[in-house]
Amino acid sequence: MSLDTVKPAPGYLEHLPVEYQDLVKHGQYGKKKKVSDMGKFKELIEEHPMCAGCAMTLFIRLVFLALPKPEHTIFVGTAGCGRLAISQGNVPFIYGNYGDTNAVASGLKRGLELRFPEQKKDVIVMCGDGGLVDIGFQGLMHSWFRHEKFSTFMLDNEIYGNTGGQESGMTAQGLVAKMSPRGKVDEKMDMLGLAKVAKLDYIARIVPTNPARVVRTARRAILIAREFGSTYVQAYTSCNIEYSIPTPDVMQDAFDKEKKEYGFEEHFSDRAKAYIDDLEKKDKAAAKAAKK
Amino acid sequence: MSPETAEAKQNSTSKHANVPGKPEGWVPAGDLQEVISLEEMQKLPKETIFMTGSEAARESIRRANVDMAIAYPITPQSETMQQAGYLFDEGYIKDYYRAEEEIGTMSAISGASRAGVRSLTATSGPGLMRGMEALASWPGARVPIVMLNMCRVINTPLAIQPDNAEISFLLNTGMLVLHAENQQDFFDWPLVAFMVSEEVDVTLPCTVSVDGFFVTHARGNVAMCDKKYKIPPRDGWRNAVPSMDNENPPARISRDAPIQKSNFISYHMHASWQQEVFSAVQRSAKYFDKYLGGLIEVVNPGADEMIIASGAAVSQAREAVRQEEEKGNKVGLIKVKTIRPFPTAQVIAAAKHAKVILVPEFNQTGWLHKEVCTTLYGHTQAVIYNGPRVYGGMTMPTELILDWLKDIREKDKSRNHF
Amino acid sequence: MLIQDNLHLSRSASDGQGGHEFLYRVNRYGISAKSRPQEELSQIHWEVEVIKYQKTDAVKFEICHDTELAAKTLIFHNDSSLNEFLEKSFNYFKELGLLEDMA
Repeated sequence: MSLDTVKPAPGYLEHLPVEYQDLVKHGQYGKKKKVSDMGKFKELIEEHPMCAGCAMTLFIRLVFLALPKPEHTIFVGTAGCGRLAISQGNVPFIYGNYGDTNAVASGLKRGLELRFPEQKKDVIVMCGDGGLVDIGFQGLMHSWFRHEKFSTFMLDNEIYGNTGGQESGMTAQGLVAKMSPRGKVDEKMDMLGLAKVAKLDYIARIVPTNPARVVRTARRAILIAREFGSTYVQAYTSCNIEYSIPTPDVMQDAFDKEKKEYGFEEHFSDRAKAYIDDLEKKDKAAAKAAKK
Repeated sequence: MSPETAEAKQNSTSKHANVPGKPEGWVPAGDLQEVISLEEMQKLPKETIFMTGSEAARESIRRANVDMAIAYPITPQSETMQQAGYLFDEGYIKDYYRAEEEIGTMSAISGASRAGVRSLTATSGPGLMRGMEALASWPGARVPIVMLNMCRVINTPLAIQPDNAEISFLLNTGMLVLHAENQQDFFDWPLVAFMVSEEVDVTLPCTVSVDGFFVTHARGNVAMCDKKYKIPPRDGWRNAVPSMDNENPPARISRDAPIQKSNFISYHMHASWQQEVFSAVQRSAKYFDKYLGGLIEVVNPGADEMIIASGAAVSQAREAVRQEEEKGNKVGLIKVKTIRPFPTAQVIAAAKHAKVILVPEFNQTGWLHKEVCTTLYGHTQAVIYNGPRVYGGMTMPTELILDWLKDIREKDKSRNHF
Repeated sequence: MLIQDNLHLSRSASDGQGGHEFLYRVNRYGISAKSRPQEELSQIHWEVEVIKYQKTDAVKFEICHDTELAAKTLIFHNDSSLNEFLEKSFNYFKELGLLEDMA
């Protein structure tokens, strides 16, 4: 049904804007796209109002590329920079009250499971550090402890970017920001640690320095959530405006950050590991067969 | 819809093949119920049972074909929503959980409703206030949630007693607001609320408020049909805005929220969206009229002295009317069933002739009094008295209403009015 | 569910404390049974008085603790025990009526 809504009625396609025609003819629907395909197909998200050089946008684009079934995916977001880009993607997006993402996603996912028991629908929460660990902390924690079957992607720019640079729970200790005039008193919140305590099926920390790894990680998080329960991906997506990173240096900052304190980490539950190993083995075999 | 839809497939397969904790082959009790329209249900033979309001609500939920119920416990609501848990266990409700608190509750139930399933929650005073941000956003999201609200004191000092000041906070949200009088209403009206809120030209959340304890924790007569019947399910394809199921293109509102832009077009879009929400509130009136047998009930029409009330105050007013009748005095009573949409034309027609109007209420602010004054301004010569009111859990004996009437007749100036 | 025989009036308890009152009448005597709200639902019970109606058409009565039925307010914890008491009372009131008529 959903793919049919993407396809216009016969004879109507040529009258639609060229961007839409491209989405239908050259989009990623029904196909598995790789990072190396970028530039050769019509992405789900292209135009967006994000700042030049924004690392968050790169990460969001890559997650859209990773969607296993965009025609059966719903994003849930909240106030913050991320939603400016996510809402421009060709995937339904719920923009709720600040900090309500994981509660909304809990109800949404369960509702969709009731209505479409034969058709898995992927619910993805994607929002900033403030939306998740400050105002949305309670909802986040409880969705994790309930093991709700959706993935949570934190766009961790370590600051309130959208409101102009106030410290958040994810800001590094000592940093002078708006609302931390003497430097942030407390440590950056250990969300990976909390995710482990909640025994999530998949936990990852990532910096978008290696696009293929972002795509692989995002896909794992979505597929494991679909099958078992909550998953969490924490991505460093610098705010080059608030941290005054010159646009050409944004990727260098990402590499430095990764090396210094934000190295790639990935944790699976046993069941998630067995499931992903099996799935990826099958994928590889299928790819090999296709090459022959 | 076409038979290829994923939803259609569901109906051809076993929905609850293996439910954890249930024996193999377990059939949810809800699947054994027979679907009938609410009009048919209202005409069925009924058995009258003397039961608490909480039990009446449970029996209503049992017949309401609810898909999803989410709530956080709070006195006096918990009695009902823990019963809803048992209904879930029996298979009358398809999914259910105890949420983390009310912002979580009200957000999660909006997610469920956006998925296109019938969604129920319930709360009381302080919980309502905690969830206020979330539920104030429901009408704009066009989610037809039904929220039972068992009223309770919201101000300091903390109390669990009945006081319905919280209803005043719901009046301008765009929600449909009913104020039930007794246990019977608390059985009948949630069913009505689901049917009306899910009408495609309404698609709005609806609260059925009731005065806590006096109704929830006391017994009253409730006439109800057999539990083998339930009302039709929600049709997730039939909404004013599409469900967020990625089976239809989503409404632009959720993609390009006006807040993302500051220009005339975005302001205009937001304004028209609000106009549409409040128009939908008005459009709901015809359905409430059908299912509730009128938006108001009038006792002794044409009397010079009229009492206008909602909720439990109606019961006390009824007894006052009866006692006045014993004395040979004809006092009228208008029971306002729907607070939103407010039955403006009906109240004017029923009250414009009056010389004296009393508005008894269980709150300090007198929100119904303000509604009545606004409604009748320019339409009546009646003196609209500012009371009587009790609050903070105080009781309203019939004598209070009778005393006001006596003082007014004796031209005692101690009763203030507008 | 209480017996409906001899039910004179059922009303919202007029003291305003919530709950419902059932008034039964046989001749000049009767029973008032009130069920009030309780914070714990399991504590809901019947508060029962033997009453004597005044000689008027209006529903006016006095609590009557002089009969053989009850010298105080009675408490019943379920409907069936109250129904038993009601049946007994109705018979008693009938006999009492006969006696009073003879007097």
